[in-house]
Amino acid sequence: MRPAPFPIGNKFCPGDPDVKEKTLSYALLIPAFIIVLATTLYPLGYSFVTSFREWDLTKQRRPSGFVGVENYVHAASESGFQNSLWVTTIFVVTSVILTLVLAMSLALLLRRKGRMHTFTRIILILPFAMSPALIGVSYRFMFNPEFGVLAKGIGAVFPALEGTPWLASPDLAMAILVITDVWHWTPYMTFMCLGGLASIPRETEEAARIDGASNLRIIFGIVLPQMKGVLLVTAVLKTIFALKMFDQVVTLTGGGPGTSTETMAFFIFNVGFKWFDMGYASALAWILTAIMMLISAWYVRMLLSERKMAKA
Amino acid sequence: MAEVRLVDIEKRYGNFLAVPQQSLTIEDGEFLVLLGPSGCGKTTTMRMIAGLEEITSGDIQIAGERINDKPPKDRDIAMVFQNYGLYPHMTVRQNIEYPLKLRGVDKAARTKRVQEMADKVELGALLDRRPSELSGGQRQRVALARAIVRTPKIFLMDEPLSNLDAKLRVTMRAELKHLHHELGVTTVYVTHDQMEAMTLASRVAVMREGRIVQLDTPKKIYAEPANLFVAGFIGSPSMNLVDGAVRNGMFRAEGIEVPVSLADREGVVIGIRPEELEIAGDASASINGKLYALELTGDSTLVTLRSGQTMLCARGPADFEAPIDAPCHLTPKPGARIHLFDRASGQRLDGTRH
Repeated sequence: MRPAPFPIGNKFCPGDPDVKEKTLSYALLIPAFIIVLATTLYPLGYSFVTSFREWDLTKQRRPSGFVGVENYVHAASESGFQNSLWVTTIFVVTSVILTLVLAMSLALLLRRKGRMHTFTRIILILPFAMSPALIGVSYRFMFNPEFGVLAKGIGAVFPALEGTPWLASPDLAMAILVITDVWHWTPYMTFMCLGGLASIPRETEEAARIDGASNLRIIFGIVLPQMKGVLLVTAVLKTIFALKMFDQVVTLTGGGPGTSTETMAFFIFNVGFKWFDMGYASALAWILTAIMMLISAWYVRMLLSERKMAKA
Repeated sequence: MAEVRLVDIEKRYGNFLAVPQQSLTIEDGEFLVLLGPSGCGKTTTMRMIAGLEEITSGDIQIAGERINDKPPKDRDIAMVFQNYGLYPHMTVRQNIEYPLKLRGVDKAARTKRVQEMADKVELGALLDRRPSELSGGQRQRVALARAIVRTPKIFLMDEPLSNLDAKLRVTMRAELKHLHHELGVTTVYVTHDQMEAMTLASRVAVMREGRIVQLDTPKKIYAEPANLFVAGFIGSPSMNLVDGAVRNGMFRAEGIEVPVSLADREGVVIGIRPEELEIAGDASASINGKLYALELTGDSTLVTLRSGQTMLCARGPADFEAPIDAPCHLTPKPGARIHLFDRASGQRLDGTRH
């Protein structure tokens, strides 16, 4: 250890300066910690406790009797939750795949710096800048069979589709829900992919060109394998966002027609704040959390092994 | 027969002229080095040969065939990059194999060929590793193996050694030279390191601002630099260049008087290499001044003399010692080459033998 450049300690300032500095840094963290505790950790803990209790919000002000894992057991057989699980699965899988494919393709098209460089990027970010709830409302208007601009536009191009009740058909409603979500998230994911592409050494592609690879082969054989890490992170993020997706269901389809677009987040909201069964809603929320954690853990493991491969 | 001819090629980026119109012929089996400071257009020139950069005008011919519009893969070239350009997601074996695979060579032949190449560049034991698990030198060997695996007509090497440490650079340099001797493939090599250029090249093209200012054998470039730029660029430590004038067969500048065979003339620059100067005993020497610095390099001492505003460097014996600021005298060795240049144009002036 090097000696201190000048004497510090008891003589000049009371107490050890190191300890003093540490105390101060912890003290400065306290407000942030209290806020996190109050807004995140406390509700999380409270909902976890609630998930083992019965709590009918119309009759009780506080959680009442302890019912063990009854709420969780109920979830395993209750049709509403089963349906929402299935709806969510379809939504997550299609929207993640579509967003990733679109984002990666757009990034490949946009990576070259051209005259439209800045312009395309500004245009691109617009959908992401919009609030999801607003997107739901606008798409509902645009797909209105009476006056919606998209519904009318599609009808004009394909007369057979004129008057299609877009949001009144279960499959079409789900498709439109996926479209709005893909439309909203693709820009952000495109930027992530662009970042990833920028970090690929240009020489690898040039070497492949000289070695005799075709353009497609360069993309699939050279570029995409090097993008694996970025694509994995993008997939994790998109999956989590898709699992939590709520606003668009409320403003676009309201879970309908029937229960065809009732995603887990929406279903849990209904259980808790329409039917006031807080105990069951808490249990469902924790199931959703567990699913997200499992998926994330799996992704992170893939990512780590990928890193190891690239680094080791 | 794989001669490369660049005929009146030119490269512009918008309004910026990167490589002005010029021609260059690289002969079959030749090791041509494009040498110059960064940004002098040497890499651009090589990339035009590779087809990675389009040419604005002119023609490129490989083995007599015009290849302007051919994509890189159809030019039958191989390239080694400064940053290796290895495929990080493939093993060493897959990296070396890739060009063969793309050209539809069958599996058995590929395996055999990869093994041969790996042995040639001493990578045999590392075939199943990934590039990230290799050292810089090993990576460059993989890049080399990948380039030679399908015996192309032309090798292009873009500063292949500049990412390696000094010691490794010297070993790899020798290996490159041996490899070229063994394969005899026409090679174009880009570098800013004059040592690499001198040691490797059959001919060196010194470039400046996109233009080839001298194209000659290393020996000739060292002995007879065509202009001030080449004179200052080639040689380490670089050639002493002093402004002055010629009067009555004598070049004169502050503290310097060297006999030359040139008619009287103003605005002359004299050039003497440090290794062609020796330390003299007294003030009757050609160059007189004060000792400015001594630098021991091991086998010799670099002696820097200061005369007015001018500094001159000489390579003296390793055991030379003198106090700084002591009077110091230098004189050209017998038979030393004295180079004279025109100050204004920078061009070499004739009749410069001492």
